[in-house]
Amino acid sequence: MYITGKALSRRTVLRGMGTAAVALPFLDSMVPALAAPTKSPVRLAFLYVPNGIMMRDWNPAVDYEGKFTDFPRAMKPLEAFRDDMLQLGNLTHNSGRALLDGAGDHGRCSGSYLTGIQVKKTTIDIKASISCDQIIANKIGSQTRFPSLELGMDDARQAGDCDSGYSCAYTNNLAWRSDTQPLPPTLDPRVLFERLFGDGAILTPEERAQQAKDRQSILDFVTADTKKLETSLGPTDRRKLDEYLSSIREVERQLEKAEKDNKQINPGMDKPYGVPADFAEHFKLLTDMMLIAFQSDMTRVMTFLVTREGTSRAYREIGIPDGHHPCTHHQNKPDLMEKVSQINEYHTTQLAGFLAKLKATKEGDSNLLDNSMIVYGAGLSDGNRHLHEDLPTLLIGRGGGVLKPGRRIVYRRETPMCNLHMTLMDHMGVPVENFGDASGELNPASVS
Amino acid sequence: MQGRGVVKPPTGIAFDTDFGNDIDSFLTLAFLRSIAGKGTARVISVSISKANLKAAQAEDAITKFYEGPPPPGRGGAVGSPVGGNPDMVGLADNGKMANDTPILNLIVAKKDAEGKPAYPGSIAKLLDTAEPGLTIRNILLAQNDLNAVVVLDGPATSLVQLMGLYGVRPQITAKVKYLVAAIGSYPNGAVDAAIKNDIAAARKMFAEWPTPIIAVGSELGDALPYPATSIEKDFAWAVPSHPIVDAYKAFKPMPYDAPVPGMAAALYATYPDDGYFKLSEPGTITVLDDGRTRFTPGPGGKHRYLIADPAQKEKITALYTELVSAKPVPRAAFGRGRGGRGASGAGGRGASGAGGRGFLPVAPEPVANIPPPQE
Repeated sequence: MYITGKALSRRTVLRGMGTAAVALPFLDSMVPALAAPTKSPVRLAFLYVPNGIMMRDWNPAVDYEGKFTDFPRAMKPLEAFRDDMLQLGNLTHNSGRALLDGAGDHGRCSGSYLTGIQVKKTTIDIKASISCDQIIANKIGSQTRFPSLELGMDDARQAGDCDSGYSCAYTNNLAWRSDTQPLPPTLDPRVLFERLFGDGAILTPEERAQQAKDRQSILDFVTADTKKLETSLGPTDRRKLDEYLSSIREVERQLEKAEKDNKQINPGMDKPYGVPADFAEHFKLLTDMMLIAFQSDMTRVMTFLVTREGTSRAYREIGIPDGHHPCTHHQNKPDLMEKVSQINEYHTTQLAGFLAKLKATKEGDSNLLDNSMIVYGAGLSDGNRHLHEDLPTLLIGRGGGVLKPGRRIVYRRETPMCNLHMTLMDHMGVPVENFGDASGELNPASVS
Repeated sequence: MQGRGVVKPPTGIAFDTDFGNDIDSFLTLAFLRSIAGKGTARVISVSISKANLKAAQAEDAITKFYEGPPPPGRGGAVGSPVGGNPDMVGLADNGKMANDTPILNLIVAKKDAEGKPAYPGSIAKLLDTAEPGLTIRNILLAQNDLNAVVVLDGPATSLVQLMGLYGVRPQITAKVKYLVAAIGSYPNGAVDAAIKNDIAAARKMFAEWPTPIIAVGSELGDALPYPATSIEKDFAWAVPSHPIVDAYKAFKPMPYDAPVPGMAAALYATYPDDGYFKLSEPGTITVLDDGRTRFTPGPGGKHRYLIADPAQKEKITALYTELVSAKPVPRAAFGRGRGGRGASGAGGRGASGAGGRGFLPVAPEPVANIPPPQE
């Protein structure tokens, strides 16, 4: 480790002309000389995929210790992370079930996913509960620029009926600040970029167009600050800083390309300005910024609603013109099941790209993935039958050392999903006595 | 919360038992499954306080026997179980396995002429079961208000575990009409093994259970036993064998009449207003240090106990034997149908419907040849 005479503040920001502000990643220079190594913060992200998963493609074979010996189709893209993840079986969201409220499994399961309660069946006077990510954000959010970030890729409508009498607020949000206040996800990568590196102002399309015309990189605005900082850094930190700023520049380039492509593909499209038409590109842009936000400690808590429950998004990128949701009601027809399998595999392929970058991002003596807890999962297991038990759940990363990944752990049937949420809250330094329908934390011996 | 626009289904019975410790638990399960097959009541959950995997396996096997072959097309339809997990059994897990009993060993191990399990089930390991408290809580939440009855036939361990779940007591109050507990001896009597096994749980249950409790004492079970003659003659249709007959004969040397307080509890839970039993005045049941129970009458007490009515003995015995020896009622396909797609409160253990794991294909049939009880 390069030792400097005076430690750089963990919250140093590169500032420049206009509204640009670029937070820094964790650098060696932020550790005071001769001090004990600083423990990196633990980050938590939930990535949610809708409409269940083909469970035949999900559960890997394991040995007597639970270690993975085989990766079925939906898990295959994640094989490189076999030692970095826990696959958790039999977690259940009872509050996603009908419980006398009739149809609407999609609306219920996403509404209850992080809130842990049975949401009110309504399109008007919505009622859920504060979600576990927001309980954490309320407690530790003051330590970072953003208490939490909410991202998504699909649909941000907050009103209307999205499933058999359930408000779109339930299907289109994961995070809830209170019983009645969901936190809508940011879909547009450009908007997210401006939040992360600007002053938070949301530009009009006209202002954006003008800005694009005279566009300079955000990094151009902070050149002077960057140069000044570099003089005080050792070679390792200079390399780290260079890599970090390059990653921001890469996101900018992707955004510019997406915006250019959008114009060429369909100038009249109603997609937000910076939303790429291509799923993988959109996913990559958002997760690249998630990485930067984690790396620079802008936030420690994120939710990412990859697509929303009941989505009928087509996946033409992989040759599937049919809607996702209709395919999942396959009634055991092989052609439809195959399409769902392809979509599931496509999703985990994108996830693998994100995980690879987290793992490649050094942080102290470790890496960003090791210091994170990434939950990837769905609110239904069998999307054909709308089952709310044995929810497909991955817990990836080491949580700064509190998790012992590399295994599949199957709990007893009906084990509440909220037990996982309680466990994660505890690992984030926010222990709670109860949450949703939890019966307690997951057996510590099982995950740590 | 009540269901919207849905006809209230028959009473849902959550059955908790120390399955396999005596023949009463087997007979009570058979009685309840048969009752559910007739559509008179629903078995919404079964949970077992005896921490022994074979108990869950035997319970599962007997349930499957009474339900008959599985319905076709179960895997293809939309419609989640309204609150339970298909084929789920709650099983205590206190870290140490309770002793096997001969009746459990026999049901689990018996093979047919081809060497296959005579009474097949689907439970292979502890992970195929759930915690009893969660099993009961999750299914109760899927019931219409005051349309569930809890039947206890064994130690109160599972119910105390249920009461320990966060926020559950108001939910129990909303959903459960009363608890019928076959435990103790009334008004004062001998030590009950079910209480002795977990005195603390029995005390807590009688002191804190949030609904009225109807206790069924061992004296009632003794007064209204299941007759050995039924085992010898009523199951001739079951070829090559019947699990209840096998278990009955394995439990004690034949012939013997079996005390069945659990069956009495199940009978009262199903037909509370039909006059099969007399009810004590209200009062309070306390548990003494040695495991005996004491009933203290008093207005406002939340406890009562059942009293045998000699005039009803013949009818009760006929009902017991007819139901336990009844042939399985075939189940209909999973999915739409009676109480189909996500039906509110109409499902039980398994599919969406009115008959436990499955649901009835036809209108409930009356129990034949059983005269109504005399008031």
